[in-house]
Amino acid sequence: MAKLKMPPPHGGELVNRVIEKKEYAESLAAGAIEFDLKPTLDPNGVPIRHVYREIVSVCYGFFSPVEGSMTQNDLEGVLKERRLENGWVFPYPILLDVSEEDLKSLDVKEGDRLLLKLKGQPFAIMDVEEVYKIDPKDVATRTFGTPENNPEVVRQPFDEKHPGWMIYRCMNPYVIAGKWTIINPPKFREPYDRFWLPPAECRAVIKHVKKWRTCIAHQTRNVPHTGHEMLMKCAAYTGDIEPCHGILVNAIIGAKRKGDYPNEAILEGHEAVNKYGYIKPSRHMVTFTLWDMRYGNPIESLLHGIIRQNMGCTHHMFGRDHAAVGEYYDKYATQILWSEGIPSFGFEAPPNEVEKGLKIIPQNMAEFWYCPVCGEIAYSENCGHVKEKQKFSGSFLRGMVAEGVMPPKVVMRPEVYKAIVKWWKVFGYPFVNNKYLENLNKELEVDLAPMEIPKA
Amino acid sequence: MPHYIGVILDENRLAQIKGTPLEEKIQDLFGGQLKMLVVEVPEDKSEQILKAFDRARIDSRGFIEDLPVAFKRALFEEIAKAKSLDVIDKVLERLPEIQEAAKKESEYIPPPEIE
Ligand SMILES: [Zn+2]
Repeated sequence: MAKLKMPPPHGGELVNRVIEKKEYAESLAAGAIEFDLKPTLDPNGVPIRHVYREIVSVCYGFFSPVEGSMTQNDLEGVLKERRLENGWVFPYPILLDVSEEDLKSLDVKEGDRLLLKLKGQPFAIMDVEEVYKIDPKDVATRTFGTPENNPEVVRQPFDEKHPGWMIYRCMNPYVIAGKWTIINPPKFREPYDRFWLPPAECRAVIKHVKKWRTCIAHQTRNVPHTGHEMLMKCAAYTGDIEPCHGILVNAIIGAKRKGDYPNEAILEGHEAVNKYGYIKPSRHMVTFTLWDMRYGNPIESLLHGIIRQNMGCTHHMFGRDHAAVGEYYDKYATQILWSEGIPSFGFEAPPNEVEKGLKIIPQNMAEFWYCPVCGEIAYSENCGHVKEKQKFSGSFLRGMVAEGVMPPKVVMRPEVYKAIVKWWKVFGYPFVNNKYLENLNKELEVDLAPMEIPKA
Repeated sequence: MPHYIGVILDENRLAQIKGTPLEEKIQDLFGGQLKMLVVEVPEDKSEQILKAFDRARIDSRGFIEDLPVAFKRALFEEIAKAKSLDVIDKVLERLPEIQEAAKKESEYIPPPEIE
């Protein structure tokens, strides 16, 4: 086998649409039509998505080659075969959606420049390419698939209980398409700032600081227990002539649901894994991407592959029930996609074997459990003690944490638990609750410096 | 099919059931690093519990998880009092009181005292 090297960004080049020079930025925004970005609300008024996260991820290149809010042709291509109009694979609609009322008061048309404001400050501009109408419910359903149209992996029709389907279902009916450019780079608050490593910098760190030739990505939205740690360690044994040099943990940070762990504890919990030597920092690094998780299992895995290829990873680990909620998809939908493809979603072959597909290599992993007979955390494809096995259960662990019981270190590292307790003391609660949500939805993850835009 | 509720035993709880017949029912988890009592819950009663607490759910092992701490506490109190695992009816009698306490729990849970 030939030695692997870092794959190129998806689409060939990293998108970088961030303007750091203040005067230039101000001149670009002068005279633009102002629009305050708003969260997407569910029918109970709960924020379930904020488009600012997509603007950040697009402009810093996480979603390369996507450059902004999609045109109707891009949207159709994505819904039909998970391809942009230019042919590159991309799984999700990325849209700036507005209400009829907002569209009327904005009175924008093709060629106009919009100034998008966040937390009262100028944030980004966009040159309007197209304004068109969507049927949000249709977009939602076609994004995730149906048992009739996608019988390979869809087991149940998507509905209001699916948080990702709800994000699209609750969008406004008009889309303003056009490329986004950030003119006021957001400042991440603590502790996010420590983990902020956009693709261009991440590639440079991997190449020149960590000196990893190969690197496997680990997707997370959770505080790590030792099952996750063992998954990372074992999946990293793949590589080429030797195990992967590095493990890149990339947490998805966005809208939260009650009962999740706070973002801060997730990031610092993973950091504790390397800080306290369970996986040396020379081999393990924690980062994040802003994205309101759509829980799209195989569809989500495509986005994960794109993000981490753009960040410079050679491999990506995929587990059972990857980025899943409920039983809408087959448990192994992601692994089916990456081992044989899913024709009805536009993949006659795995996404890394199709034209204009991904270059990242999948590492499909089965399960880990604790086996008292083996006396270790065992891989399901090794351990034959099926009767004795003790499965890791995230909710069992959450129950233990809530009762104030320190989990045994064979299940959770004490330093990881301490990261949970640290933020528990800050928020008065170990998990996401109403108060945390209210605060997150008001403050978001960033602050924006004041910026005066000259009048036209 | 019955469901189960696991009651984790820390040192304090272990001391309370020392010398009772419950000791024989203690299950070892994770190589003995965690001790637990398992209470069997008939299906009709597990439905009642799921209805009472909207976050509660059955996990892949058939255990009822994400129950309020107040419920787990009451369950252990009844177990220690009766020196038996057959206490689910007693706990369900206390449901209104537990639900009241659980409401407060959604806003604040005191953090453990560790450095
Ligand atoms: Zn075994």
